[in-house]
Amino acid sequence: MVNDSLPPNQRRFFLTIILGGLSTALAVVAGWPLFRFLSPDTGGADVEIVEIPRASVDVGGAHFLTYRGRPVVVLQKSAGEFAAFSAVCTHLGCIVKWVSDPGEFLCPCHAGRFSTDGAVLGGPPPKPLEPIPVVLAGDLLRIG
Amino acid sequence: MSPLKRLVDYLDVRLGVRELVRQNLTGYLVPRRANFFYTLGAVLLALFSLQVVTGILLLIYYRPDAANAFASVQYIMNEVPYGWLIRYVHVVGSNIIVIALLLHMLSVLFMGSYKKPRELTWLTGFILFNLSLALCLTGYLLPWSQLSFWATTVATDAAGAVPVVGEMAVQFLRGGAMVGEATLGRFFALHVMGLPLLLGAVIGLHLFLMRRVGISRPPFGPEYEPPAPLLSFRHEEHPDGIPFFPHYVAKDLAAIFFFLAALAWVVFYAPALFIPPAALEPADPFVTPPHIKPEWYFLWAYQTLKIFPSKVIGLAVQGAFMTLLAVLPFLDIGPERRPAHRPLFVTCYFLGILLMVAISIWGHYS
Ligand code: HEM
Ligand code: FES
Repeated sequence: MVNDSLPPNQRRFFLTIILGGLSTALAVVAGWPLFRFLSPDTGGADVEIVEIPRASVDVGGAHFLTYRGRPVVVLQKSAGEFAAFSAVCTHLGCIVKWVSDPGEFLCPCHAGRFSTDGAVLGGPPPKPLEPIPVVLAGDLLRIG
Repeated sequence: MSPLKRLVDYLDVRLGVRELVRQNLTGYLVPRRANFFYTLGAVLLALFSLQVVTGILLLIYYRPDAANAFASVQYIMNEVPYGWLIRYVHVVGSNIIVIALLLHMLSVLFMGSYKKPRELTWLTGFILFNLSLALCLTGYLLPWSQLSFWATTVATDAAGAVPVVGEMAVQFLRGGAMVGEATLGRFFALHVMGLPLLLGAVIGLHLFLMRRVGISRPPFGPEYEPPAPLLSFRHEEHPDGIPFFPHYVAKDLAAIFFFLAALAWVVFYAPALFIPPAALEPADPFVTPPHIKPEWYFLWAYQTLKIFPSKVIGLAVQGAFMTLLAVLPFLDIGPERRPAHRPLFVTCYFLGILLMVAISIWGHYS
């Protein structure tokens, strides 16, 4: 036979390349749908702005909601003065609580404390809470 | 020394992997004349693995309660990226598995491979066949469509024909008087946990028996001779055979890819084949849609129940037929395996297949 002129190890190398290439192609064809199927739900991450009624936040109180799939807290520091922060503690990611008596945020995990401006007052958190834009538009609070 | 060789050396010292490879792959010789039908077991293993993978993926989004099941399946089909693909592969795969099971069983019958010493291999295979059908039946309910609901109502109702305990059996299957939330709960548990675990264990036993006894020599060709009567255990060897790896594995892979291609063809070109219109409406316990039929592989059973004047007789005929199949190796004890030397068996075999096909077609159009 003609191809007997090739030494067996060359033929084997050729076959390995062909089979390897085919297997890789098949793995990609099967892997891509699998990757997409398992890709995380965007969970409203594409929603740019969330609106809530102004009345849902008391004066001197806090209101928690989900914005872009993450917990956010809105404060009414004094009548008509609003602020919003990511409620995720900058230490290890627990969700901070609003403690109305001293008027500050307390993280239940390792007692991190944040002010109404988001600044660290004490405990292990390394950074202030991430601020989120919030504006008052008539009776609505527009977050984001 | 290459890293691969170092790894193999490491494992070889500890586990003797080279000996394992020699015994089970390169030095394991299988019959030279092994035909296409000998690859069906490997095809079934591959298809079942695919069902496990797609099944686990579907579980991520499926919700097993009557209020949400249908919507969750619609969500998988319409919203989840490639959800339709995963679901179709699972649905079509189940049908292809039944085809492969039937071919595997029919070829084992035709070649008389169920005969001594392989009676137990047959018996475990027969159990696998029934477990697979049970998986199909329980899976059919899960989408909670009109089709699911009423096909399950009809199927579970058949058990009611059993004398004395029939009514109780129906209620036990359904978990209540009618198909409902309770039925979905138990079918879901069976479909995703109970039956797959059992199936896995029995597949292990089936493979152990097949490997321990040795694969049979195909009963064809001039050089085939019926073996001498077996008096003590002997592993069937094929000194003139071909190595399992790579020769036979290549054959197996060819057959596996053939079946996968058939599956892909249905998924992409005839996706509606196994999903009739009644599967697109949510279950409504108060409205029975017209012309509810079970899946094609249950049509023979459905039709036999209708042919006989009483359901008890119909059920008894089915039971007798299945029992006959189960214990066939213990009744048909002659050593002859060559089809040409078993005219009576082969006649019954083909008439039986024809009868089954005819009854199924009748059931389809009735
Ligand atoms: C879950 C389904 C099944 C799987 C995964 C499976 C797997 C296998 C495999 C891998 C083999 C060896 C290769 C071959 O001959 O194809 C085999 C052989 C065999 N199977 Fe199955 N099988 C299944 C169902 C069945 C059924 C339903 C029957 C019959 C009732 C059956 C009866 C046999 C017999 C008698 C042999 C021995 C054949 C011989 O030695 O020539 N199996 N099976
Ligand atoms: S996670 Fe908040 S203080 Fe540690």
